[in-house]
Amino acid sequence: MSIVILRIAAALYAVSTAAYVLYFARPKHPRLAMAGATTLGLGFLVHAVAIGVGCSEFGGAEFFSLRGGLALMVWLAAGAYLLLNRFYHLPTLGAFITPFIVVTLLPALFGTPGHPELPPDTLRHPTVTVHIISAVLGVALFAIAFGAALMYLLQEREVKGKKFGVMFLRLPSLDKLDRMVQRLVRAGFVVYTVALVAGTMTATAVWKSAWSWDLQQIVSLTIWLLYGVMVQLRHSGWHGRRYALLTLVGFALVLGSMVTLKVVPGATRHVGDYGTRVSGGAQ
Amino acid sequence: VSAQDVYLVGLSHKSAPIEVRERFALTGDTLKAALVELRATDGVQEAFVVSTCNRVEVYVQAQGDAAARRFFTSRAAQAGDHLYAKAGAHAVRHLFRVSASLDSMVLGEQQILGQVKEAYGLASAAGSAGSFISRLCNHAFATAKRVRTETDIGKGTISMSQVAVELVEKIFGDLKGRSILLAGAGKMGTLSAKALASLGADRILVTNRSVERGQALAAQVNGHFRDWAELQRLLSEADVVIVSTGAPNYVLTREMLAKAMKARRHRSIVLIDLAVPRNVDPDCADLGDVYAYDVDDMQKVVDSTQEARKGEALRAEAIIEAEVLAFSRERETRAALPVLIHLRRRAEAIARAEAARTLSIAGASLDERGRRSVEAMAQAIVNKLLHVPTVRLKESAASGDGTLAGAVAELFAIDAESGGGAERPARASQGGQPDAGPGRAAAASSDRN
Repeated sequence: MSIVILRIAAALYAVSTAAYVLYFARPKHPRLAMAGATTLGLGFLVHAVAIGVGCSEFGGAEFFSLRGGLALMVWLAAGAYLLLNRFYHLPTLGAFITPFIVVTLLPALFGTPGHPELPPDTLRHPTVTVHIISAVLGVALFAIAFGAALMYLLQEREVKGKKFGVMFLRLPSLDKLDRMVQRLVRAGFVVYTVALVAGTMTATAVWKSAWSWDLQQIVSLTIWLLYGVMVQLRHSGWHGRRYALLTLVGFALVLGSMVTLKVVPGATRHVGDYGTRVSGGAQ
Repeated sequence: VSAQDVYLVGLSHKSAPIEVRERFALTGDTLKAALVELRATDGVQEAFVVSTCNRVEVYVQAQGDAAARRFFTSRAAQAGDHLYAKAGAHAVRHLFRVSASLDSMVLGEQQILGQVKEAYGLASAAGSAGSFISRLCNHAFATAKRVRTETDIGKGTISMSQVAVELVEKIFGDLKGRSILLAGAGKMGTLSAKALASLGADRILVTNRSVERGQALAAQVNGHFRDWAELQRLLSEADVVIVSTGAPNYVLTREMLAKAMKARRHRSIVLIDLAVPRNVDPDCADLGDVYAYDVDDMQKVVDSTQEARKGEALRAEAIIEAEVLAFSRERETRAALPVLIHLRRRAEAIARAEAARTLSIAGASLDERGRRSVEAMAQAIVNKLLHVPTVRLKESAASGDGTLAGAVAELFAIDAESGGGAERPARASQGGQPDAGPGRAAAASSDRN
């Protein structure tokens, strides 16, 4: 049932993408941007219903799989963008975010939703919910930062290279994009920190150890450190092109590790065997 | 004698150099006097003159363009070589194109419509613009408005100082909390600094080799004067640097910029070099966070917007074509009506006269009802006979074709100019109409009435 509702949401996201891309091509028609935002909002609501129905169907198990995780991330990214658009009015950013949303949602649309097994009752810990939602929201914010950084680099190439083409007329100023990237990275870092804290609390409670050299733990800590360094670098004056490139690298790492860890079987206890490899530390 | 129609004689930046144009750039009272003089000329019914620094154009509703030509030749004999002349729909199209800024030096600029409106206002005030010029101008304004709203022709940057603003906007968004440095006293630089001030810069710093000139400039742009020797330090302070000195060499070198970037901890800086020969070493642009533009780069921005606007111009031309057609149609319909009225009045007069003649001969043998029948029959013949021609005439006039109306006028020897009608059927039926070509004359008369 939830997969059908999710497909409806995906269709709405696709319509929104079309509207935003058209708006990018024809910026003279602000109605297109409005249509994009409206359908995105509708998609967001329908997606919320899909998530609710999914939770009652599978008891939240699907969020432990790659498909469920990606779908949740898409939902949060859509919500974050809608919120961002409300305060900063960035319709052109929509043309970069919505295609990402649709592409990321594709794997979740086909086949049965992945719910290998219901998580054991030990995982019915409130910190798990906080951990999952904040981790995914953190990644969603990093994703939007990625989009903004991409826009920055495209715009910078035209502005600095004196080739005044498509981007020059449409994208916001470099300064605005730069600040946007910085804020998104900072917000993402804060949310991701919450995810790590909640994750550590869960691990302590369930695995009886805060740190067990699980591959997911190592990757997450690396990502957290990387974005932490980025937040710090900003304070020491890093900005512009270098910062945008760093944002791209950071997100490539996030996405790459997410997919790898979920696809390679047994790479991490975060998939499937929640309780079996319980150990007192793997050193 | 040529027919009554709209004629245009003029010269513009496309046909005449500035030395010629400036001789005709009339304003205010001199222009008013010229309009009155034009209107007083024989054969001229209405007149209207557009006079800007890029064009002087005389539009007349007259029998020919002689008076309009004389407007130029009487002021400067050599003007004749630079004049262009158009008549009828071509003149209408020209005015529509001018108003919509398709004939402007900078395609799509906004000023020209206001200038044409002003010209029309002046002609109205001088009493030289009647109902025809009024309809023509209002149609031109509506067309210009349509072009503006339905195409992007007015969009994009135009002047150099606007380009500077556009570039800075794309980098900084606005200039709140930032400062502008104006180095050198070039005119373009001053204009650009003023334009950039609109982005809300915190302050404008001015530096110049000559202290006196620099201080005067600082006062002019509401800035603070700094000594030229401080230039290196100023580079670490300002976020936008506009350079326009008369120096033949690079005033800002790569070394200076590299040093300044370190001092500003790599905060972005925009360098706008408006000097020819250039004052900013082009190698500066290779430095990170330095955005450097010279006059050629800025011209590229102008061109890129012009290029985009060329496509828009094509769409605008289509709109204008449609409006010229609509205007001529409306005109032709108006032109056809007097012919119809005259035709019908004359036919009815004949019917009445013939019925009266018949009744005077045979009326005695008829009762009241019989007499009515004779009159009704005469009227019915007229109605039935004229029905199809009336419909045809209206149709052809509405489709913009004035030839049928002209033919009818010619065929029935209708002289609309005489303005008479049923009261003087005899004269008309005798074919007495010595002056004016019939069709166009009818048009002119309707325009005048």
